[in-house]
Amino acid sequence: MASLGANTIAILIALGSFPVSLALTRFFMYWNAKHGIIGIDVHKPNRPKVPEMVGSAVPITLILFAAIYATLGGASSIPLLAYSLVVGLAALVGAFDDRLRMRGIFKPLLTLLCGLPLLILGIAFPGQIYSSMLHVPLFGQYHLPVIYPLTILVATSVTSNTVNMLDPLNGSMAGGMSIVAGGLLIGLLLVGAGSMPIFLYASLMFSLLGFLYYNRFPARAFAGNVGQLSIGASIGALAILGKTEIASVVAIFPNIQNSFFFLSRIRRFTEHRELTSKPTKLLPDGRLADSEDPRAPLTLVRTLLIGRPATENEIVSSIWILFLTSTSLAVITLLLTGV
Amino acid sequence: MNRRAVGYELVVFVTQWGLMLIGFGILTKFVAPLNLLNPSLSLGVYFDSATKALIALILSVTWLFIWDRQVRLYFHRRGK
Repeated sequence: MASLGANTIAILIALGSFPVSLALTRFFMYWNAKHGIIGIDVHKPNRPKVPEMVGSAVPITLILFAAIYATLGGASSIPLLAYSLVVGLAALVGAFDDRLRMRGIFKPLLTLLCGLPLLILGIAFPGQIYSSMLHVPLFGQYHLPVIYPLTILVATSVTSNTVNMLDPLNGSMAGGMSIVAGGLLIGLLLVGAGSMPIFLYASLMFSLLGFLYYNRFPARAFAGNVGQLSIGASIGALAILGKTEIASVVAIFPNIQNSFFFLSRIRRFTEHRELTSKPTKLLPDGRLADSEDPRAPLTLVRTLLIGRPATENEIVSSIWILFLTSTSLAVITLLLTGV
Repeated sequence: MNRRAVGYELVVFVTQWGLMLIGFGILTKFVAPLNLLNPSLSLGVYFDSATKALIALILSVTWLFIWDRQVRLYFHRRGK
């Protein structure tokens, strides 16, 4: 019962991140629009201008609530500090990319460094950040004393960049990641995990829902790299801190497929804006269709458009269904892992 | 909504999930217990870890290859 109480308190505190994220999103919409930080919604016939980098509301909320939770004594401050540093560094890399338009290769390289706080604090405070024992569904566990710490850096880079690559349509990333965070939260509650990862997953879900309110179709706010990279890094850091490594991989299956087919066709790290062959095209009636360009990557959105054009809303609903499925498989994975 | 495309994707995800569990099973039951080098040797632990990591990498690449073929089978064929 004591554990149930701690988890309930953790979720109640995390609930506060919804209005905070909502208010911060509203503020950044106003501030960024006023300062000319705007993007163009290319998937609409009238190409409306939308405030960019508004996703910075999410990492700010996550760091603020991690600090509040640490102050209230909900958990040890070391893992919360590591989590905040990872999210903050990834947001910084994203903000640089938004403003300076770095070449495609720099994002994966710089986000490798974002995992360093987990590694350094994990070595300095053994047992508080990670354990090198990997729990595997159905088959038990095995010890990875050398590989596990090195994987931390790769994990944060992969999750942040793969989340960054699947935000082509209004609400696709924020909605998808809300489903992932919510599903893994339910999974952790079912397996009786500690209150710290439960708080962090709940805080991520509520922050994303606050942002999604303005990012859903028709979007009045864009996340920008600052939002996408920090949210992806948050998923990666939580996989380590919450011991949900394998379940997290399963939950982001749609992202993995999208990134894999993008990279296997383009064969280099590049930005969507630099692509000469686009995977989709906008029809005069406002629907999206497969570009039928054989040189274009087979992205997730393109697979959903093959043979039949669709509205942006329909495609986003399909993406959310795919996330619901992958997250359900992730919850089953957590139950089979039993940690 | 393109129900057929979503249905194909769901089949892909469930198949890849099953393959992933089998892959982790192979790693846990067969690869991890192997004693490839005596740990008392200089750098023995690191060579042992590197070899096992290489096996895991080969399994991951195989997994992605099967994923690639499955998606191409469902979607590229329909796109032509």
